Amino acid sequence: MYADTVIADKLVHKPHFIIGLLVAAGALFFLFNITDSFLGHVLSPVIGDPASSGLYGRFVVAFMAALLLVINIVIIGFFPRKLQILAVWMELLLLALTLGIVFNLDLAFIKSKLWFMITQGVFTTLYVSAISIVIASILAIIGAVAKLSDNGFAFAIASFYTSLFRGLPLLMQVYIIYLGLPQLGYVVDAIPAGIAALSLCYGAYMTEIFRAGIESVSRGQWEGSRAMGFKFGLTMRKIILPQAIPLIIPPTGNQFIAMLKDSSLVSVIGVWELMFLSRTLGVKTFQHIEMLMTGALIYWILTIILEAIQSRIEAHYRKQRS
Amino acid sequence: MSDLTQESTNSSPIISISDMSKWYGTFKVLTDINLDVKLGERLVICGPSGSGKSTLIRCLNRLEAHQKGSIMIDGVELHDRMKDVDKLRTEIGMVFQSFNLFPHLTVLENLTAAPMWVRGESESEAKKTAMFYLERVKIPEQADKYPRQLSGGQQQRVAIARSLCMNPKVMLFDEPTSALDPEMVSEVLEVMTDLAETGMTMLCVTHEMGFARKVADRVIFMDEGKIIEENEPNEFFTNPQSERTKLFLSQILQH
Amino acid sequence: MKKSIKKHISLLSVTAIISLFVSLSASAGESLDRIMSNNLLKVATSASWAPQSFINDDNVMDGFDVNVAQEIAKRLGVDIEFVTPDWAVITAGRWNGRWDMSVGSMTPTGDRAKVLSFPAIYYYTPAVLVVHNDSKAQSAADLNDKKLGAGSSSTFELYLQHDLTIDAVGAPAFTYDITPASILSLPTSQAVMDDLRLGDGVRVDGLVDALPAVNGAIESGYPFRVIGEPLFYEPLAIAVDKGDAELDAKIASIVAEMKAEGVLSELSKKWYGIDYTATQ
Repeated sequence: MYADTVIADKLVHKPHFIIGLLVAAGALFFLFNITDSFLGHVLSPVIGDPASSGLYGRFVVAFMAALLLVINIVIIGFFPRKLQILAVWMELLLLALTLGIVFNLDLAFIKSKLWFMITQGVFTTLYVSAISIVIASILAIIGAVAKLSDNGFAFAIASFYTSLFRGLPLLMQVYIIYLGLPQLGYVVDAIPAGIAALSLCYGAYMTEIFRAGIESVSRGQWEGSRAMGFKFGLTMRKIILPQAIPLIIPPTGNQFIAMLKDSSLVSVIGVWELMFLSRTLGVKTFQHIEMLMTGALIYWILTIILEAIQSRIEAHYRKQRS
Repeated sequence: MSDLTQESTNSSPIISISDMSKWYGTFKVLTDINLDVKLGERLVICGPSGSGKSTLIRCLNRLEAHQKGSIMIDGVELHDRMKDVDKLRTEIGMVFQSFNLFPHLTVLENLTAAPMWVRGESESEAKKTAMFYLERVKIPEQADKYPRQLSGGQQQRVAIARSLCMNPKVMLFDEPTSALDPEMVSEVLEVMTDLAETGMTMLCVTHEMGFARKVADRVIFMDEGKIIEENEPNEFFTNPQSERTKLFLSQILQH
Repeated sequence: MKKSIKKHISLLSVTAIISLFVSLSASAGESLDRIMSNNLLKVATSASWAPQSFINDDNVMDGFDVNVAQEIAKRLGVDIEFVTPDWAVITAGRWNGRWDMSVGSMTPTGDRAKVLSFPAIYYYTPAVLVVHNDSKAQSAADLNDKKLGAGSSSTFELYLQHDLTIDAVGAPAFTYDITPASILSLPTSQAVMDDLRLGDGVRVDGLVDALPAVNGAIESGYPFRVIGEPLFYEPLAIAVDKGDAELDAKIASIVAEMKAEGVLSELSKKWYGIDYTATQ
């Protein structure tokens, strides 16, 4: 964002903010009654047995919790920006992990299933998504060129396609392709059906990305190449698309990250990808929470990795353009 | 090139515009234009902004369509059902105000693109031609750079060389120096002057009156979509006929 | 039992989609010919329904239904492959040769019989009433006018709604012993169990489910208690696509054979600890 040259006072160090936060957090903790927590037990010399400390104990614990929170925020407020980001991230991560511990997960069970979840689940998720994004990109190029063309047929078909596939829930497309095609005599297996549904749906969304990318190439490039006697196809292939693609790749990367998670929908037709295994592996021993949390964590880590790659790609193309 | 100069004197016009009008929607931008250009002739077209001068030369390679009258280029009439517009365009070079070089291609690739892709020339042949014209515009050492690594003046010289690689019969210049920093204008005009000396047929939309005086056979003044005045440069500048021409000249020559 | 349920899509929407298309059913002998010529029996079953069918510690399909299917394939003399589509996709029928058979503890209800053929019933499970350990209820009558849970569109829910018909030969008659005040209907019976686990009356006062599933939960530490005698016995059948009488006959004879030789009883004891192949 735009950084001003004048440094304003830090919000988290303003008295009214500190007091306001203290009151709000205190009220919230009081309302949720955290007396019987780790903090309550630490404070037992002051309030006695937390369980029988009554409103007094509840108030003291809530106040202390709020105070700790505010002190923590004020201290982090003094850090330079980078350290601030790191500290807040770490604290939020710690909080999330603490919640995980509250679930009382069986780590040995998770460990026994982790490798299978990666070799079978992550692998399937990744290759289904990767194949789908490639097909979707091809559909999107065709769709975008058709949408930009003067040809009425091409425009009508392309806009019908994008309207239809953006207008239906992806889950429904998965079912229609998996269940509907066999009724017409084409029996497709679960994985091809899933890939088809993902490709068609994302191809429809990406048509708009590709269209915008092609349109963002300046008119002068069209005139320059038309004035030299290039025909439409040649201009598109050699002049316009090579310039549009650097603009298209970053949003396509975002689509891939989104698709990674949407590919979980193909689990309903029995593809053994990450979501399917997260739902089924824990069933025998009623440890489905373990598997769901593991699956969730894997999706998150995958997304973090892909986002890191994505931001490098974006930086690369930004540098190339300037 | 020089053989073209000699045959120019008594051949029929290479460009022939008669009673041509053009509208943008209901707005009439060009009104009843009549103009003949002979092979080897050098025209400078000037006029206030919005006078239709750019539109006029953009009609000549049919980047714009006209609605009334006729335009004949080298015996071919331009109309909306013509089949060979691409072939015609290869014979008309066009230099734009904003260069319109292809930023993803090197200077050399910009120059060889059309000869190779459109004319089917071999790579070595196209490169030889390209280097010849890069020498002509005096930047052969920039051949492997990308357009964005060049100054504006250098880019415009590349654009001129790019058009010349197709060996065109006519060169159209649409305000070629207007987007340049002042110190770069002269290097582009120098190249254009050199080109004029080879006998190339040139139509230049420009406000560079020094160039017009030095190079043009005829100067055309346009206003509100009409050709107001047409004369050889000396007469045009020293003895303008219409009030509007006088006003325009006084405005641009003041500075 | 094996609820329609399982996953988040309702059977309704799937059948709605299907009804858009024309139905093509297998012609006589076609399915059996395909199985024999491919030397492969493709069996559709759930992967999330222990101990009937689930992914075991070695990450392959295992369970009572899986073993039964494997035995059938062995007796046909062909290899076996499992596919695991959504339960609603299996029960919707019109498989078009995608797979040949479902061994999925499917109750042969009238609606399912319209799209599927049930050549053989291979066991029965008791449906039981379950409460949290803290509950004071002692009999079904104590749970009248309480809130009871069951998987959506399962036979258990139909029982609670007093709307259950089981039209299969050999299924014992039953009576409606209980009338709940309201029914908690969730997409999976697992979710219903998780709700009851939260405590007596927290979200629900009791549930109806299959005894094998309930026993599995209790073994895994769910604080549950079964009340009284089974409410009803549910026949569970092997399903195939409609239209191939030869395949139907073949499966019927294989299952009868397995029953007679005691193979089914053994498998039942192996997986449930009890012989469920006959009603008591």
